[in-house]
Amino acid sequence: MANESKKEEESGEFADFMADISQEIAQRVESLDTKPKAPPEERKKTPAVPDAGLIVEWPNIADRMIEEMR
Amino acid sequence: MSVVNYGTREITCKIVYYGPGRSGKTTNLQHIYSQLPEERKGKMISLATETDRTLFFDFLPLDLGTISGFATRFQLYTVPGQVYYAATRKLVLQGVDGVVFVADSQSRQLAENIESLQDLHANLADEGLDPRTLPLVMQYNKRDLPAGEISSIEDLDETLNFRDVPYFSGTAITGGGVFETLRSVASLVLSRLSAPAVKES
Repeated sequence: MANESKKEEESGEFADFMADISQEIAQRVESLDTKPKAPPEERKKTPAVPDAGLIVEWPNIADRMIEEMR
Repeated sequence: MSVVNYGTREITCKIVYYGPGRSGKTTNLQHIYSQLPEERKGKMISLATETDRTLFFDFLPLDLGTISGFATRFQLYTVPGQVYYAATRKLVLQGVDGVVFVADSQSRQLAENIESLQDLHANLADEGLDPRTLPLVMQYNKRDLPAGEISSIEDLDETLNFRDVPYFSGTAITGGGVFETLRSVASLVLSRLSAPAVKES
């Protein structure tokens, strides 16, 4: 899709110029579009935590504390 | 000047026709204007003196329509060639993307061509632009004059084109070489556009 508008009925020197330039611009824009595409964001695999903030291993910790107090 | 604007999806290129007085800069723009289809004809603005010399500058906006999703405009300017309009030339050069140097092929105008070229380099440097890297093409105009009155292309090129940039033979009064010159400078401007952006990645 080089030139999307007002292409009709152009003739002569300007038409030749437009044809060349449109092609060139299309190529440039395409090359510019190849830059900085951010890599697809990697989804962090977060461990399935039933409920944030809840200490799920509480019984183990309690056991250890009791152990240490002895 | 920012030439590609991804925010507004616009490409704008400012091209300045530079050269000594009466070398044919305005004639170049007039020919381009004369070839535009009606629906693309904006206004060519010329501020001329009573004697028809360009007083401030000519301005021809070229709306090329939407190309690859970008509204594309070329803004063509000329500068007044007469030496005493130095301030205007500096002003017009601000934000320039490419320059066409229109040299007068007449042998007796060689000194004026050299002076104008030096003036161009000085003004570009003042604007913080590197004359060695700015897109530039030469047009040796008035090739239709009698052979005895004009320098050869080779001589002109050897004297003026020390950067070895593209050059064109011109007879702007009949349109010869006008679009070839414009195409060349536009191409240089566009190729320069893409380079830094690609390197950034």
